[in-house]
Amino acid sequence: MTKHSSPGRSTVKFASAALATGILVLAGCTPDNGEPDPGASAAGGGDAQTLTVWHYFSDDNQVKVMDDYKDLFESNNEGVTVENVFVPYDQLNSRLITGASTESGPDVVVFNGADASTLALGDVLAPIDDYWASFADADQFPDSVVHSLEGSAYAVQGYVNLLGLWYNADILDEVGVEPPTTLDDLNAALDKVVAAGYSGITLSGLPNSQGEWQGYPWMTAYGFDYADPQAQPLTDAFGMIQDWTDSGALTAEAVTWDQTVPFQTFAAGNVAFAENGNWQMGTAESTADFNYGVVPLPIGDTGKVYLGGEGEGIGAFSKNPDLAWKYLSETYFSTEGQLIAADVVGSIPARADAAQDDAVTSNALLDAFATSIDRNGATYPSPAISPQSVADQQLEVGQLWSSVIGGQLTPEDAAQKAVAALEALK
Amino acid sequence: MAIDPTPTHPSRHGSVRVGRRGAASRFHRLAQRKQLLFVAPAAVFLVVFAIFPLFQLLRMSVSDVTVSTLNDTWRFTGLENFQSNFASPAFGETVLNTVIFVGIVTVLGLVGGLAAAVLLSKSGRWTGFVLSLLVFIWALPPVVNGSVWKFLLGSSGLFNSIGLETGLTTQPIPFLFDDSYALYSVALVNAWAVIPFNALVFRAAIMGISQEVFEAARMDGATRWEEIRHIIIPVVRPTTLVLLVLTVVYGFRSFDFIYVMTFGGPGVATTTLPFLGYVQAFVRFDFGLGAATAVVAVVMVIVLAIFYARSVRREEVHS
Repeated sequence: MTKHSSPGRSTVKFASAALATGILVLAGCTPDNGEPDPGASAAGGGDAQTLTVWHYFSDDNQVKVMDDYKDLFESNNEGVTVENVFVPYDQLNSRLITGASTESGPDVVVFNGADASTLALGDVLAPIDDYWASFADADQFPDSVVHSLEGSAYAVQGYVNLLGLWYNADILDEVGVEPPTTLDDLNAALDKVVAAGYSGITLSGLPNSQGEWQGYPWMTAYGFDYADPQAQPLTDAFGMIQDWTDSGALTAEAVTWDQTVPFQTFAAGNVAFAENGNWQMGTAESTADFNYGVVPLPIGDTGKVYLGGEGEGIGAFSKNPDLAWKYLSETYFSTEGQLIAADVVGSIPARADAAQDDAVTSNALLDAFATSIDRNGATYPSPAISPQSVADQQLEVGQLWSSVIGGQLTPEDAAQKAVAALEALK
Repeated sequence: MAIDPTPTHPSRHGSVRVGRRGAASRFHRLAQRKQLLFVAPAAVFLVVFAIFPLFQLLRMSVSDVTVSTLNDTWRFTGLENFQSNFASPAFGETVLNTVIFVGIVTVLGLVGGLAAAVLLSKSGRWTGFVLSLLVFIWALPPVVNGSVWKFLLGSSGLFNSIGLETGLTTQPIPFLFDDSYALYSVALVNAWAVIPFNALVFRAAIMGISQEVFEAARMDGATRWEEIRHIIIPVVRPTTLVLLVLTVVYGFRSFDFIYVMTFGGPGVATTTLPFLGYVQAFVRFDFGLGAATAVVAVVMVIVLAIFYARSVRREEVHS
């Protein structure tokens, strides 16, 4: 049999090869680990009901809170099964948003509170105004933890997470310094601990929203403000960070670390300080075999610490939003549920009554974070950034923060680029 | 009854011929339909999973698609997304990163693959073990592979520990967190991951060479290097051409290792086109901009795919 190779067939061959290759390229652009079932949703009919909860927690203690909430709700509601589904942090938003195009998604979403407006714009979250208006304990929550867009509430934070300065008391005792209360104190302490052969401080320099979250306190400590972005405060802040990397107080390896790795490094015992959050209390207790403590980040009067934490909302395509609300009101938004989170991971309850509970007020570590809330707490994300620009702002600043730590840009260049990028987002 | 001698019907032979021709034609048409039937599943698959997504990608790249418009009507914006990309200084840097990355992966992937294949072309005690090791490495998910390499290349990782312990270095080498090293480090790991596949394909080509050829060469006094240079390399030339294109395409679509090991950093030092497209579409949620970046990457790869298709056709003609 003769094989023909007409120009038309060649074209088809070329086109097929090209198209198949194109798809391979596209397929390479989306990570594929941690597969949740987008079709998984509440089974509304019959007695047995399943409630799916998507979250991004991988830390053991945070996972335990999810399990405790599951047990709590299932024991209070016979016939209901709560299915906690882990989705990696970097993939949660994209999966929710792309899932919305097929009108699928979970019943309950636990997400980075800063992304509330992004998810609301993406039609991922259902408005909860009616539920919230009829919630008897709504007055226990400050307005700052209710995430709204264009007059509608979409999510509420059951607790507040923020950064503090963890310190290794044994190292500080050895070199003879007190936990710092000012930037000058901190810099002097870093010089001493580095001279004594220890690492100075760990933090995250990942070029994404985590980097921006970690960089914000230091930037604002020098007077930076997103409402009126100026280069000089950023230059000063970035200069301090590069002084740390130059002196060896901070390793440039931080650019590859998310917020978990720097704390694990601190908990290993050879680092004097860690800029990290209250949610690490469980990890510190189970891992660190040295004396440690927490003080508010020493960022002065102008310094700001984002009041973060996870927002909890109802999926826009939940088949049983009433059950989803019941779950939220009995777990994340209840006194009992908030005390579970405070006990297991050290979260600071958003409810006024839970925040006054002995379990919270008698905890010295939580007290430092509570002080920081009063002194330096700031809304996350900055209200000066429009909801449509939040993702861009976090990425741009996170990348520059990473460039500074990695030594890719000088403080001056990074500051100029940051101001230009923020101006472009207005 | 008079009989008209004029044949009013085709001759018996002619009728049979036409009948046979008609039957053949019907059979041919039937066969064609059958062929189409067999082709149909693949064609449907291609339309659903290749042509439609590509069409959507192209449509998205010329539209304003953000998180708030993804599920609504997409506003046509022409080449605005492409212009926005080309106007960004970071885009040029990203293209350069991509070219460097692909260059390293291709050169090391091919040279390493050929070297490994030559070493494994002789049967020996360890050949089977090493071959299965290669298959294992090749089959490892990039996320796992990347995480292991991130650990190995860390300040306290294996390589830095060896360097410091042996006195080769006095300071840890910042493999992944210095912009002078990071891109090369990730590219090296990517090349390492593609070497097993190339080695297995090269080895298959080398095993096709008759042993008599090598024996004759040895009788003529050829050294091992001369065998490689004058026998193996010419014989594996067609294979090299195919692997060249495949490895370049592999390098172009590399995303996983960057995602796991550096997330494009420090800053944007290891950001390549696929990663930039991901960040634009799934971190910034500017799907139109991300699609435009993906289209640029796809066009670059399609050019290579055409070379690949041509080289395959040329090989078919020669064989």
